[in-house]
Amino acid sequence: MTAIIALSLFGISNLFLGFWFPRKTIQLVTLLFLVVSMALTVSDWNHELLWFGNMFRTTNTSINFSLIIQLAAFFVVAFSKAFGQDDEHTHPAEYYAIMLFSVVGAILMVSFDHMIVLFVGLEILSVAMYVLTGSDKRNLRSNEAAIKYFLMGSFTTGFLLFGITLVYGATRSFYISNIGTILTTTAPESMPSFLFIGVLLIIVGLLFKVSAAPFHFWTPDVYEGAPTIFTMFMSTIVKTASFAALFQLVSGIFGSLYTVWVLPVYFISMLTLVVGNISAVYQQSVKRMLAFSSISHAGYLILTVSSKQISTTSSILYYSLSYTLATVVAFAVLILVSEYQSARVEKPENFSSFEGLAKNNPGLALCFSISMLSLAGIPLTAGFWGKFFIFSDTFSRNIIYPVILAILMSAVGIYYYFKGIIAVYLKAGEIEKIEVPTLFKMALWACTLGTIILGIYPSLVKSVF
Amino acid sequence: MQSIPEIIRTIPLTNYIMLSSALFCIGILGVLTRRNAIIVFMAIELMLNAVNLLLAAFSSYYSDPSGQIFVFFIMAVAAAEVAVGLAIIVMIYRNIQSIDIGVLNKLKN
Amino acid sequence: MNYQPQDFLPIFVQLAAALAFIVLVMVLTHALGPKRHSAKKDDSFECGIESIGDARTPISVKYFLVAILFVLFDLEIVFMYPWAVNFKQLAWNGFYEMIVFMGLLLAGFIYVIKKGILTWEK
Repeated sequence: MTAIIALSLFGISNLFLGFWFPRKTIQLVTLLFLVVSMALTVSDWNHELLWFGNMFRTTNTSINFSLIIQLAAFFVVAFSKAFGQDDEHTHPAEYYAIMLFSVVGAILMVSFDHMIVLFVGLEILSVAMYVLTGSDKRNLRSNEAAIKYFLMGSFTTGFLLFGITLVYGATRSFYISNIGTILTTTAPESMPSFLFIGVLLIIVGLLFKVSAAPFHFWTPDVYEGAPTIFTMFMSTIVKTASFAALFQLVSGIFGSLYTVWVLPVYFISMLTLVVGNISAVYQQSVKRMLAFSSISHAGYLILTVSSKQISTTSSILYYSLSYTLATVVAFAVLILVSEYQSARVEKPENFSSFEGLAKNNPGLALCFSISMLSLAGIPLTAGFWGKFFIFSDTFSRNIIYPVILAILMSAVGIYYYFKGIIAVYLKAGEIEKIEVPTLFKMALWACTLGTIILGIYPSLVKSVF
Repeated sequence: MQSIPEIIRTIPLTNYIMLSSALFCIGILGVLTRRNAIIVFMAIELMLNAVNLLLAAFSSYYSDPSGQIFVFFIMAVAAAEVAVGLAIIVMIYRNIQSIDIGVLNKLKN
Repeated sequence: MNYQPQDFLPIFVQLAAALAFIVLVMVLTHALGPKRHSAKKDDSFECGIESIGDARTPISVKYFLVAILFVLFDLEIVFMYPWAVNFKQLAWNGFYEMIVFMGLLLAGFIYVIKKGILTWEK
């Protein structure tokens, strides 16, 4: 809990540090801040407590989610290089401050016990992301991504709020635990019918945020248009936080309304898997491919929402961690390669600009390939176990067909992830040695090692979750 | 003399739900059909205000102030959204001298 | 609860005081201030912009910044109403919480000033 207070203060102090210190210093200070806040988060371990007028709950699950979010933020900050052209109009301290603020929002979203906290957390995260998406002010693509994200995001917030209001109207409470008790003790028939509309609207609102099909249409454009470093931020932190909120609501308090949402959720999960994977196959741009891949990963995660196993939470945590580690590496290499190619080719983010990367940059090529393998779910990487846990959890609930579809779709996934590996190793191309800053290199190898260690000893963290 | 919550309660709750749903749907239609970014934005605000109205109605029906507190939060957060949203719209206007969202199609393949 | 007409007396007193202050100030400024007349001076005041002409002239983005900052800071007042209504019940605890809230706003305001958003001539 102290972590969110600390992070807010760190964010504010970051703003003021920007008046006196250069970007490099602020980057290091921000990393330090995140380490401190992670330590503060861990200090709540095993104390299940309510804070702020019972509106905020720290449980071990919420702490794990917050740690994954802060770890992702740590790597994003470590991978951040100059923002745009470092002219007088760029204010690096503000970017770091906004990132810290949005981490506060994400933590609120994973540990809320009151609808206001969910709403405020979601908005802190989203408003910060609108700013970051449009931060490349002169670039029309970034502008377009920002307005799309902004309009879609606030549209979605409307749905979420209307849902919350209807649920409040039916249960007379905003407290998650109260709503849960009321819903389990009252017969669904005696509830007003608008309760069910409210539940569905809340679910739709959050599915927009995790970009599940058919609410995914904004995702590829926004991910492509935003500066890559912030796409990395979006595809890891926003996704994890929104999914954690969705999971807590759906499997927690709406658990007794199982029959209302289970069919829509399965349908959406399967649709997301099909749309995400099939569209990813056709992409020429690595960034767009990663956007669709993030949609398809949302599909795998939604599959687990309805499997009420004790192990589900730990499977979701494991999956989020493995996905986060692999995704940040993929985007980090993309940043380096597209920066190098931007002066040389017209579309620096396409697969073709990765051709021949392995010849002079074996390290980068290896990291990129391992992250692709992990995203595809090949054994000996973390992604394999993530998928394995999710499928076995869902399968043990006798939910056969969605799992079969998911397995088929992960086979499709192998095709487009391997396109990247083939471009890196087998195609001929001219890429000189790319200069990688030390901090960047260290973070890159840390993530890659994490992916492999988690792939070889999954019980290492699975036992903690 | 009646207090304000009592006056509010003389109208059935269903009417408030109907009115808010209607406003909410008008907002949705506005978002889906209009092309001018500012008007889309106003439609979104209409959706939020429909929510505020319903919250206030529920709140006075149940004599529970937390609904109205939620309205305060929605208003404050909506102001923050307005600030960022208008800044984005101004930024786009400075680049393309238009706020028609149909013009923005650079990202469609 | 039934109100008697005399219960509203304080409101009228305040109304009268407010009106009297306005009248006093208006009279004072007219009596004390120098009187200059020119085409510009007698024009209706529009924040220094020509009041007649094309309404779609480009306007400095600084107006926009000030307007947006006003919206942001203005709306935070909304949280002071519940506090003001329950001022006595919340006692010192509420006061400290409000100090924290205003402190955060103040930090934002100092940042805005240091950033030079409110300096008109640059």
